[in-house]
Parts: sequence; structure tokens; C-alpha cells
Amino acid sequence: MELHSDETIWYFFKKGEATGFSLLFKKYYPPLQVYGLKLSNNQALTEDCLQNFFIQLFEDRHKQNSINNLKAYLFVSFKRRLIKQLQKNQNNIPIIEAQLFKSNFTFSAEEISVHQEIQFLCTSTLATLINKLSSREKEVLYLKYYSGMKSADIAEVMDISYQSVLNVLQKGLSKLRKSSENKQIRNILKKS
Amino acid sequence: MDNKNKFDLHYFLSDVSFENWAKGLNKNDITYWNNWIQNNAEHIETVENAKSIITGIKFNQHYPSNEKVDQALARVLPKIGLKPSTKTKLNKTRTINSSLFTIVAAVLLVLISYTSYSFFNSNSSTVHKTNFGEIIDLKLPDGTSVVLNGNSVIWYENENPRYIHLKGEAYFKVKPIPNTNAKFWVATEDLKVAVLGTQFHVNTRKQKTNVVLDQGSIQLELNNGKVTKMIPGEMVSFSNKSKELIHRKVDTETPYALWRGGTYAFNEIPLKEVMFNLEITYGLEVQYESNQLMEILISGGIPNHNLQICIAAIEKATGTRIIHKDNILRIQENPIY
Repeated sequence: MELHSDETIWYFFKKGEATGFSLLFKKYYPPLQVYGLKLSNNQALTEDCLQNFFIQLFEDRHKQNSINNLKAYLFVSFKRRLIKQLQKNQNNIPIIEAQLFKSNFTFSAEEISVHQEIQFLCTSTLATLINKLSSREKEVLYLKYYSGMKSADIAEVMDISYQSVLNVLQKGLSKLRKSSENKQIRNILKKS
Repeated sequence: MDNKNKFDLHYFLSDVSFENWAKGLNKNDITYWNNWIQNNAEHIETVENAKSIITGIKFNQHYPSNEKVDQALARVLPKIGLKPSTKTKLNKTRTINSSLFTIVAAVLLVLISYTSYSFFNSNSSTVHKTNFGEIIDLKLPDGTSVVLNGNSVIWYENENPRYIHLKGEAYFKVKPIPNTNAKFWVATEDLKVAVLGTQFHVNTRKQKTNVVLDQGSIQLELNNGKVTKMIPGEMVSFSNKSKELIHRKVDTETPYALWRGGTYAFNEIPLKEVMFNLEITYGLEVQYESNQLMEILISGGIPNHNLQICIAAIEKATGTRIIHKDNILRIQENPIY
């Protein structure tokens, strides 16, 4: 349930009072922390980086005049910061994102709701199937259905076109559907 | 060719009525799009893709707990030279800086108009919400237990955890505070329940509020100003809209709040009433082959934790056939019977 709109929160954040900072922090620390964790697989690094991110955001609050979309802005800037930090830890060897996040975005069965439109055998099956997708597909699925982001905002965060977001979504979901059907068939065969 | 380009994924995804259809939400939208698809079968693939994007995958968000976030916040605030803002601090800021408060009021006015909730602060209030088909057990800070049925929400201000707002359906077992005789309140759009320590059931579906009292005694303050007392085994139903008030005894052998134990109990209840419960808790739409089917009477318990089992039980109890497809339950006569 949305108690304060992003406009309200951002207004108070820019005023530089503790209330505004706390509102923004409490709303966006949880989703950003989990996003960072999914990207980096490293809790200490993610939390450290995220706290510094909020501090810098506060110190630079006068530099940004107006932000159209706070959520997308926070996700994209935090992701950039996290990548920088990870590269630093790799002794500044420039590596591309794809390599950096090779084994990222894994989901546990507990993170999958039992209420699904697609018929799956169980949550752990669905988790396994999702984890087998490409990391780009997983990130789009994550941003869309875990973080509840609009497709246009996902395009901004992932730096791809809106049409690509839709294509990746469609591809990822149809892969899940297909492999879920296969898995169900295999299980039926096993039983008999 | 032009036509083909026009009906792309984006066309469907940006249409709110299509989204309703995909989620099975609005009857008009469902009728419209079912019709549209029949007449535009060549677009079925795009329609299916768009639908699967809308419904997607449902995740349980494993976000850090409030305590963890508060701890992190407490570490960060000193680094930027700010003191933690406590609830009392927030109140002080308001009285000292009146211009700040007017802005809060102005911005929040917009929020109030569409959520219809009164102003409260995310720092100082707690919200519990259930999805369709989900039942949760809650313990409030004062020791009161609440069972919240699907598609329901309760919220309260942390300073006053014995004043609960409810939308939907819930069962309360209130912990008495004998020393102070502090009352426990449940407020709905239609009435307020004042409680000393008791067990009761509140349901706000169907644009009215039903209260059933199991144990103890409660007092109701209807939103038309009337005050009425209830004794165990009674049910009061009041609608602020229609001003209709019903006050009668109910059969306590088949309590209204049995769903909290995972069963709906029915005593000679017409099928349409039973299905209404399912529509609300699971977010489904029910269609009948004929109007006679609506009136079939059901007695007994129907398990409600699993929709498939629930449907099977209703089929057996009524001798009907229920087809479940895409959030629609279609009830037909069973030729075998």
C-alpha cells in the first residue's frame, strides 16, 4: 500500500531533513538491497555500497533538479555504483557487465508464490526453471514481477529499448511455459 | 499490413481494459475482449503473449525486515549529520513548522481522495494485507489475535494498536486489559465495534459490514450515530449506503467465521452465496448455465485452502459440474445426475 507518493518523498528528501531522508530510505532500501544482492551475490558488499549510495544521494541532492521517475532513477544509479565497486574489487580490470554478473539472479523456492497462473508442479520446480534462464531474462523478470516495475522503467534501468524489454519478457515466459509442460509430462511418465 | 502492426504487444499492454480482461477483473472488459478475440482470431498469439506478460510470475518478496532497515538507517543518519527522527520528533516538526505541515496536507489530500484512507504516516502505522486466497494469522502488539481472510486489509497507528481499521473479512480474539478497561476498536466504513475482551467476526464485503459475536460482549457504533449492544450468537449487519440494519440470532453451530480453520461451513445456503465467497477470496468470476443452479442449497463444510479441492467438494454437494478456466468458474448441470 502506497502511503506517500514518490513526489512527496522526494520533496522532503531535498529539503534535507531527517524525515525526508528516512522516508526515502525506508521505502527504497529494501528493494534496492535485494536487487543489489541478486546482482552481486555478496551481502556485505551490497549493504556497504547501498549505504554509501544513500549518503551520496543526500549530499548531491541539490544537483538533481527534478526526477521524472524516482524508482527507475534509484535502481539505475545504484546498479552503476555497484558495478563500479565490483570492478574496483577486481583490481580495476575493466570487465563487461555480463561477465561480472555471471551467476547472478538465483531464486529460492521460498521466493516463488504458490499462486501462479501457469500450472507448475511446485515452487522449487519453478525456481529451478527460472534459474536456468539467461541472466538478462532473469533480470527483466525480477524487475517486472519482483520489484513491480513498469516495462518502460525496466528499459531505462537495463539500458535497452522498450521493445527489447517486451521481447525478453515474452521469450523468458514462453521458455518457462514450455519447460514446465515438459517437466509435467516427464513426471506423469515417471509415475505410470 | 497496417492492421497487423497496429495490434502489437504494446497495443494490448497499454490498454487498461485488456489488463482487466487478462486478470479476470471487470465483467464488461471480460465480455468485450472475449468478443474481440472471437472476431480477431488472427491476433490470438499476440493476445496470449500479452496476457502472459500481464499475469507473469508471482514472487514472495524476501525483503529485509523493518528492524534491519531501521538499523541500517541508524548507521547512516549520523554520517550525514542528521539525528534519527522518532515519531514524537515528527509531530514536533509539524507544530513548529506550520508551513511544512500545510504542504504535507496538500500533497496527501490527493492520496486520500483515491485510497479513502485517512491521513497516517508510514513511520507510525502498520498495514497487513492479504492476497486473493491467502489467509494469515496475526498477533497484534497488545496480544490480540487476528485471522485475516483473503483479499482483506487491516491497518492501525503504532501508537494505538487497539484501534484497527478493516476492509474485508477478519476474525478477532481480543486480549482484555483488565487494569485499565482499555477498549479495543474495529472501524469499518459502516460502523465501529467497541470491545472489552471477546471473540468476534467482522466482514465488510457486499458494501455492508457484518459482525458476528462468538464470546463476550461488544458495542457497535453505527456510522448513522446509533449505538447497539450485542450478545454472543448474534449477528448485526449494517450498510452505510443503504442504511439497512439487521440484528438477529445466528446458528452458532455453523459459525460464520469457520473459514479461519480452513473450511467454509454452510447450512442450507444457496449456491450463489457460496460462490460469492469464492469469488471474493480467490478473485474469480462465476457463471451459471441456468438461474436454477444458483438456488441449489448446500449444507456442510467446504475446505477452502485449496481451490481445486473446494471446487470438487461443491460439485459433489450440488451435483453440478464446475469448469475452471482462466479465473472463470462455469457451473453446469452434471448429465450423470
